[in-house]
Amino acid sequence: MLPFTSSGSKVVPRHHVSGYSNGYPRAGNTFEISPHRFQPRGTTPSHRRRRRLLIRLGGIVAVCALFGLFVWPRGSIFSLFSFGLFSSGDDFQLETVRYYDLSNVQGTARGWEREERILLCVPLRDAESHLPMFFSHLRNFTYPHHLIDLAFLVSDSKDRTLQVLVDNLENIQADEDDVQHYGEISIIEKDFGQKVNQDVESRHGFAAQASRRKLMAQARNWLLSAALRPYHSWVYWRDVDVETAPFTILEDLMRHNKDVIVPNVWRPLPDWLGGEQPYDLNSWQESDTALALAETLDEDAVIVEGYAEYATWRPHLAYLRDPYGDPDMEMEIDGVGGVSILAKAGVFRSGVHFPAFSFEKHAETEGFGKMARRMQYSVVGLPHYTIWHLYEPSVDDIKHMEQMEQERLAHEQEEKEKAEKAKKLKESFGDATSQWEKDKTQMQDIAMKEKNEALTKSKEKSEKPDRPAEALAKAQREEVAEKAEKGGGVVDKVEKVVGKGEKVAEKKEKAHEAGGK
Amino acid sequence: MARPMGPVRLKKTSPLTLVLGGALCIFILYFLIGSSAPDFSASRKASAASHPLSPPTSPFRKSTSTSGKVKPPPVTRYNLNNVTITHNPLDNRENILILTPMARFYQAYWDNLLKLTYSHELITLGFILPKNKEGNTATTELQKQIAKTQQYGPEKDRFKSIIILRQDFDPPLPSQDEGERHKMQNQKIRRAAMAKARNSLLFTTLGPSTSWVLWLDADIIETPPTLIQDLAFHDKPLIAPNCFQRYYNTERKVMDERAYDFNNWQDSPTAQELASKMGYDDILLEGYADMATYRALMAYMYEEGADIHHEVPLDGVGGTALLVKADVHRDGAMFPPFAFYHLIETEGFAKMAKRLGWQAAGLPNYKVYHYNE
Repeated sequence: MLPFTSSGSKVVPRHHVSGYSNGYPRAGNTFEISPHRFQPRGTTPSHRRRRRLLIRLGGIVAVCALFGLFVWPRGSIFSLFSFGLFSSGDDFQLETVRYYDLSNVQGTARGWEREERILLCVPLRDAESHLPMFFSHLRNFTYPHHLIDLAFLVSDSKDRTLQVLVDNLENIQADEDDVQHYGEISIIEKDFGQKVNQDVESRHGFAAQASRRKLMAQARNWLLSAALRPYHSWVYWRDVDVETAPFTILEDLMRHNKDVIVPNVWRPLPDWLGGEQPYDLNSWQESDTALALAETLDEDAVIVEGYAEYATWRPHLAYLRDPYGDPDMEMEIDGVGGVSILAKAGVFRSGVHFPAFSFEKHAETEGFGKMARRMQYSVVGLPHYTIWHLYEPSVDDIKHMEQMEQERLAHEQEEKEKAEKAKKLKESFGDATSQWEKDKTQMQDIAMKEKNEALTKSKEKSEKPDRPAEALAKAQREEVAEKAEKGGGVVDKVEKVVGKGEKVAEKKEKAHEAGGK
Repeated sequence: MARPMGPVRLKKTSPLTLVLGGALCIFILYFLIGSSAPDFSASRKASAASHPLSPPTSPFRKSTSTSGKVKPPPVTRYNLNNVTITHNPLDNRENILILTPMARFYQAYWDNLLKLTYSHELITLGFILPKNKEGNTATTELQKQIAKTQQYGPEKDRFKSIIILRQDFDPPLPSQDEGERHKMQNQKIRRAAMAKARNSLLFTTLGPSTSWVLWLDADIIETPPTLIQDLAFHDKPLIAPNCFQRYYNTERKVMDERAYDFNNWQDSPTAQELASKMGYDDILLEGYADMATYRALMAYMYEEGADIHHEVPLDGVGGTALLVKADVHRDGAMFPPFAFYHLIETEGFAKMAKRLGWQAAGLPNYKVYHYNE
């Protein structure tokens, strides 16, 4: 309220009109400066008193606050006074409401620039031996790691898969290099009670395929439904047993901006099997033969590729590979293989999954491809962009390899025997010749000696070093004498010494040296 | 009047009064803060995730530290072998996910939700709303109610976690009016879009700890408060109550009720035959005179005064209210947005669940009520 400004007001101004604030009446002359008389300060002026009181009050409050801080160390009073600036790390509030706009996570060709998150899904079973290889791939991905969320499903494992996995992941998250750290990491444990064996032979046997594929599909669905979040733009499925793949595979596949995309999957082979081979036969284009075949099968049947039982005559992505072809070439496909699938998260959000039943006569990844096509999504494969699956020899291969190993061993043995025989032959032959030579030189020596002795005794000394044969003979004689002194079969030793050419040469050298001295 | 009052009044005030006043202020502030910031019980805090990158079915700790490096998310293990699904979910502390595709917000829906007696600490709500004007309005109203409950409401009312999603595709029809919505030629497109919305909501929110999924339409405004316990008690993979609608009977001049959801049915040979003659992409619809299927509809199986726990097997289900074991969805059963055995959306879902070995059931005498427009 401003009494002065309201001219018509009847309100009596409280202070300034009637007197000063110290209680003295206003003098008639407003401009008189000098006080009327000296006024001693008997009591403290009110404002000072008030200030002192406030200080005291402040002190009490501060003490109370400090006390409160000790009583409720993470109390919310403190955060009020400090405006939340100094709250300690352990103090947390719960956020119970989350809001996501799914139109922000559509997935684009250059996702890394728009910070699009990828969910990397890896189903695992008894895969301990493959994990070190997998983690080396993980460390090498060039897509920003903090944008990749990892999800693993460990099911029915009898080895140390889980422990090795946890250790490796914790190492990555504790890495000194921030670049290595991944986003959310979830490990889902779920046992489905698989009756089907995971070894290569039973895994690829025709009879086991349908039920095996359905169980695999179930595992994949459990993993996806537990790990997919509203902030994912892409989902990448990757098997652990990929041996070689480009580090840039995520970007490479993403650049195509397709709903579902797979590379070509081959595997290296030992040379005797041809060096390389198409591995993943589940990426194919539908054929009329296969459609006709599907018509004849019952509701629960599952068509599986790569078996003589179902001749589908489908064009397979794997067989269309040209090592020198354009890696960006695309091919429309209907069934996809599960070794390495990049799909937009929107595909999975809209309900496409890995059918654990016979969907249009297909299950798991092939059914996934079929279902994605059914919902008008683009499903493509890259025939000339290849990743390499680990080569695990099949039982036949192992048998073959064992046979080959045996053959190799037999061959080696034979070679060895042959070599020995040749050596023996040579030895005995070499024995004779050397003996012959020796005898000859000895004979010659004797003849020469006799001759020399007879002719000139003075020349003998100077010629000695130049005639190793003579020195050898002398050394031998000396040695024999030595050995004889020590006792033993003298004759045998001499024969042996003479028989071994190498030793003879050694002796010759020694003798030569001795002679030189 | 001539004497100034200020200093005099202060002189009379004893410091003790001021101290008391100050203390009182602190107490008031304390309670103000206490009620504005959700202060959850220890058990709720214990179940919270430590990082925002976590399953949305749990709340997460808001990071309060403003300085220092952000720690990378931890390696989290979820053992799904330990997620139980039993007929007594409350005693086993099983998590429930209530999923609602929402186009309009009804206050009665929210009030009914709050009345559910199942421990709210175990309930996660998930909503998906279209991105149009109607959806924006509904979102605003929904968020207002959520804030009221989650921030200022008593703790027992607060839900474990709430997820709001906005659809990434436009609804095919401009209007959600009942008349327009139910035109037969619009049904396939409408229900395909609905199926996609349901799937988007389901697969992004299901998470690793959910035991049950309750599908509850946004226009279900009245259910028994023990709905979850009652339905779960039957221990069925899919179970649907009977959906009715209250209306004013102009003939009898009284409030009356009528059957509403005709998607809960048992198959008939006629329908099978109709389907076999249909094109690959055609769908069978229920409740239209020009497509008489002669299916046994659960809506008409209601008997006044009969046992509410009477169970019937179903071949097709509706989505108005439906309790599903999470494992059914985890196995891959979803709402097909295409003709799946000539069925679409929730009806197709029942069929897909059946293909995976899960049989649906219905409770014809257990009623829930739909909003009347």
